Amino acid sequence: MSFQEKSAYVMFVVLLLGGSLYFYEVLSQSMGLEGLISPIIPGLIKLTFMLVIMSIIGHIIIAAISPKEAAAKLDERERQIFNRAGSISGLILGFVVILSLGSYLISEDGSLLFYAVFAGLIISQLAEYATRIFLYRTAR
Amino acid sequence: MLLEFSYTEQRDSMKKKFPITNKVREYREGKGVMTQSELGALVFVTRQTVAAIEQGRYSPSLETAFRIARVFDTGLEDIFCWDE
Repeated sequence: MSFQEKSAYVMFVVLLLGGSLYFYEVLSQSMGLEGLISPIIPGLIKLTFMLVIMSIIGHIIIAAISPKEAAAKLDERERQIFNRAGSISGLILGFVVILSLGSYLISEDGSLLFYAVFAGLIISQLAEYATRIFLYRTAR
Repeated sequence: MLLEFSYTEQRDSMKKKFPITNKVREYREGKGVMTQSELGALVFVTRQTVAAIEQGRYSPSLETAFRIARVFDTGLEDIFCWDE
């Protein structure tokens, strides 16, 4: 497994964990309320901090396992994989943003708009890392 | 029988065959103890990319294909073949 593939696994796990915990907290705090709680900056800072720390730790571990690969530039196949995965991620993000904007026109709920777009960002990134992993395993 | 034929047709259409085959592994193993990593370093790709080339899962760029041919001191068409 190449360093970049391991990196994709690390980021996928980190983002899945971080995103799940964040939205679990949002939904927990919204229980009993009429809608979702308003997005709060401390919660986002906590999530960002957690994602950064976890990804740094994960990358230190995988770099320690294969230091030469960690320092290497992307080769032509990896660049193609990155481009294809990025393209798919962009499409998903675009779709979710449009969907979120559409839902705002109906619900006029700003918090829902925020969380929908934020979730879309996380989902699109998860899709990017998943696509990279898939292409590394099977790419032609 | 009609169902079997439909299944086979569908299965075969899903197995997109790569039109370009190569003998990279044969040449590499024929050159003594050259590893995939060593070949990768010489042509500026990763070991995993060399493995993907040898397994027919990836077609290298023209530049990389020429570099591979130069490593083995042979022509491009001796290593890479168009297989229809």
